[in-house]
Amino acid sequence: MFMLSETRKTKKRKNGELYRKSKLDILFDIINYTFFISFTLLCLFPFYYILINTISDNGLVRAGKINFIPQGFHLKNYLSLFAVNDLSVSFWVTLGRTLLGTALMVISSGFVGYLVTKKQMWGRKIWYRMLIISMYFNAGLIPWYMNMSTLGLTNRFAAYIIPSIVVPYNIILVKTYIESIPEEIEESARIDGAGYLVIFKSIIFPLSKPILATIAVFGAVGHWNSFTDSLILMQSNPSLYTLQHRLYIYLNTSSNLKALMQSGGVITQSMIESQLNSKVISYTISMITAIPILLVYPFMQRYFEKGIMMGAVKG
Amino acid sequence: MKSGRAANILIFILRIAILFLVVIMFVPAVNPANICEYMNKNLSLFTSAYSYSQLTEGLGRAFNKGWIFVSTMKLLNASSIITVIGAVIIGACGCMSLGNLKFKRLGYKFAVAGCLIIAAGLTGIHQAYIQVSGTTNPEKIKPSFPNGFYFFFICVALILMLAVLLQIIQPKAEKQMKYEMETKYRLFLMILPFLALSFVFTYLPLWGWRYAFFDYKVGDTLGRENFVAFKWFTFLFKNEATVRDFFRVLRNTLIMSGIGLLMSWLPMAFAIFLSEIRNTKIKRFVQTFTTVPNFLSWVLVYAVALAIFSTDGFISSLMINLGIWDSGRNYLMSDSLTYLKMWLWGTWKSLGWNSIIYIAGISGIDQQLYEAATVDGAGRFQKMWHVTVPGLMSTYFVLLLLSIANILSNGMDQYLVFENANNTKSITVLDLYVYKLGIDKGLIPISTVVGMFKSLVSVTLLLTANKLSKLIRGESII
Repeated sequence: MFMLSETRKTKKRKNGELYRKSKLDILFDIINYTFFISFTLLCLFPFYYILINTISDNGLVRAGKINFIPQGFHLKNYLSLFAVNDLSVSFWVTLGRTLLGTALMVISSGFVGYLVTKKQMWGRKIWYRMLIISMYFNAGLIPWYMNMSTLGLTNRFAAYIIPSIVVPYNIILVKTYIESIPEEIEESARIDGAGYLVIFKSIIFPLSKPILATIAVFGAVGHWNSFTDSLILMQSNPSLYTLQHRLYIYLNTSSNLKALMQSGGVITQSMIESQLNSKVISYTISMITAIPILLVYPFMQRYFEKGIMMGAVKG
Repeated sequence: MKSGRAANILIFILRIAILFLVVIMFVPAVNPANICEYMNKNLSLFTSAYSYSQLTEGLGRAFNKGWIFVSTMKLLNASSIITVIGAVIIGACGCMSLGNLKFKRLGYKFAVAGCLIIAAGLTGIHQAYIQVSGTTNPEKIKPSFPNGFYFFFICVALILMLAVLLQIIQPKAEKQMKYEMETKYRLFLMILPFLALSFVFTYLPLWGWRYAFFDYKVGDTLGRENFVAFKWFTFLFKNEATVRDFFRVLRNTLIMSGIGLLMSWLPMAFAIFLSEIRNTKIKRFVQTFTTVPNFLSWVLVYAVALAIFSTDGFISSLMINLGIWDSGRNYLMSDSLTYLKMWLWGTWKSLGWNSIIYIAGISGIDQQLYEAATVDGAGRFQKMWHVTVPGLMSTYFVLLLLSIANILSNGMDQYLVFENANNTKSITVLDLYVYKLGIDKGLIPISTVVGMFKSLVSVTLLLTANKLSKLIRGESII
């Protein structure tokens, strides 16, 4: 038996060493590199394509002449679309909900995450479970909508902010993180007579910054990308449409130049001169919607990655 | 001693009464400010207080014709605000009752004050009701004395009685006593507002399941006259058109999720092959930019799709420029291979991101295993297959179980944006179907039934998956 396995091992090792130098190996590397680089380009190219079409000469764009290289650089499209009233309103609404919603979400996630680590709390286990179960079970879209409308949250800006304050997943993340902070730090502050709020504000909050940053980037992206809540809850208040919703409308209107005019946009002389056409309009709005994320993401990537890793460790 | 126990029981009742009062503030059915049937019936007292515009929604005609005076509605709004303030003060009493004796006694004073304020508010509401009763067009306005009025009245009377009684039977606090509360209650009060939010936005909607049992149209009230028991449930499975629709939608959902499940190993393969790239710069580059699309909304993905595949998009204009095609083609309008296209878009969007958890998993595999494998003579591919893949299996397994549990929830954004007249038959998944039925067509009851079905199946699947995971791996996934 022993001999048999020994001979097999040596044979394998020989095979292995032969293998490493083989042509198959080089071929694999070539295919591998080619695949990954082309997939990456596949992810990037559409945005590049849209971008060059928004900054090139509009006449050429309309004729479909801009495929790879921008020509006749200008920024008029962005300037004239920002002058369109409902677009800039949507932009500010979206920015507002992103900033306010994220700030509230981060603070409350931190605070609730801290509170649920406190074993002294009355009924802690029940409350924690109550918060977490909602992650796995919900009543469905229609009851949710009916609930929002009986609460009077339809067609109101508050509908964007209040429901996203308590997010169970974030609470789990923060709880797990805070449990990894040595208890002695808090203990010493407690001996000095600090209350829970003070300890949270001056010790726990600063210490859990890494995880809160992760929550912030995820929350901000979620708010910026929000589309469904605008679609369902703001049915009779177009001034509260989010940017994504606005983009959706423009993409679905065959003649969006006309839609622009109907929505109170003034078609100025410069817009006509710049040959603004429906293709350019939807590209430009797409770019306005995408740019914040495209710009911010590469810098924030490590926070995003941390988020998914933390999620794998559940408490 | 005996009086102590009696006081405890009374305090318990008091807290329940206060909780009840605070809750009914948010229930439209018992809104005391709902003084005539012409008004918006979907309002709770809380909404009547903070939103004058919602309180007077749809009353423009009544104002113009002089059936209802603006001053009446203003009075109603102001009275609602006063009532809500009173309820908030009483709520504060409920919180204080968790403290020491001194705190409790202060709380009773709050309760009495709150009750008096609510009494003032209710008087105002009653006054508004009397004004509305004198309307010139009672047939249209239909003034009706709100049931909620009694609810509030009884509740407030009970609270007032209890508070006064407790004030009398509990001994006075000593002068030097401080306001104190046990730590466990203090912590509870701190988390209470967040619990309330969670309750309101995730558990309260469950109450909306009752719409499934009523013949409800937008604007109706739920009452005995439109209660239909299980009519909609049988309707869903008896009416031929809905049966056909429902099963088609279910089929679409299962096919879309099925393709996803079959290809769920793809992110793992992506991660394994990516980690075979030794050049860290290229690796980093690939990893960064393949994850970006995951953070763009589906609307933007659709914009990308239009930019590339529509009649005047990239492919068409390139082909025309090269002289291969005469005119542009639109790939998005056809219904061919819809399932596959949807899967491809989903993969384009999230493949890179989904692989990250496996990339981290790979870096977590013990290097000694690879060294041992090398010593044993394993080649590159053998190491991938015999060391890396088994090392990632448990992660894969958890994710697979979770996606089985989510088999009915593909989300609606993707399908909503890609939907058009041609592909609507094969693209409509359960989530989108519920949206179109409920929001677009306003068929609240039947869409609630479909939603209930989905929720119940999903939670059953999740619990089963969890049990399976416990059996096989000895670890739960939720």
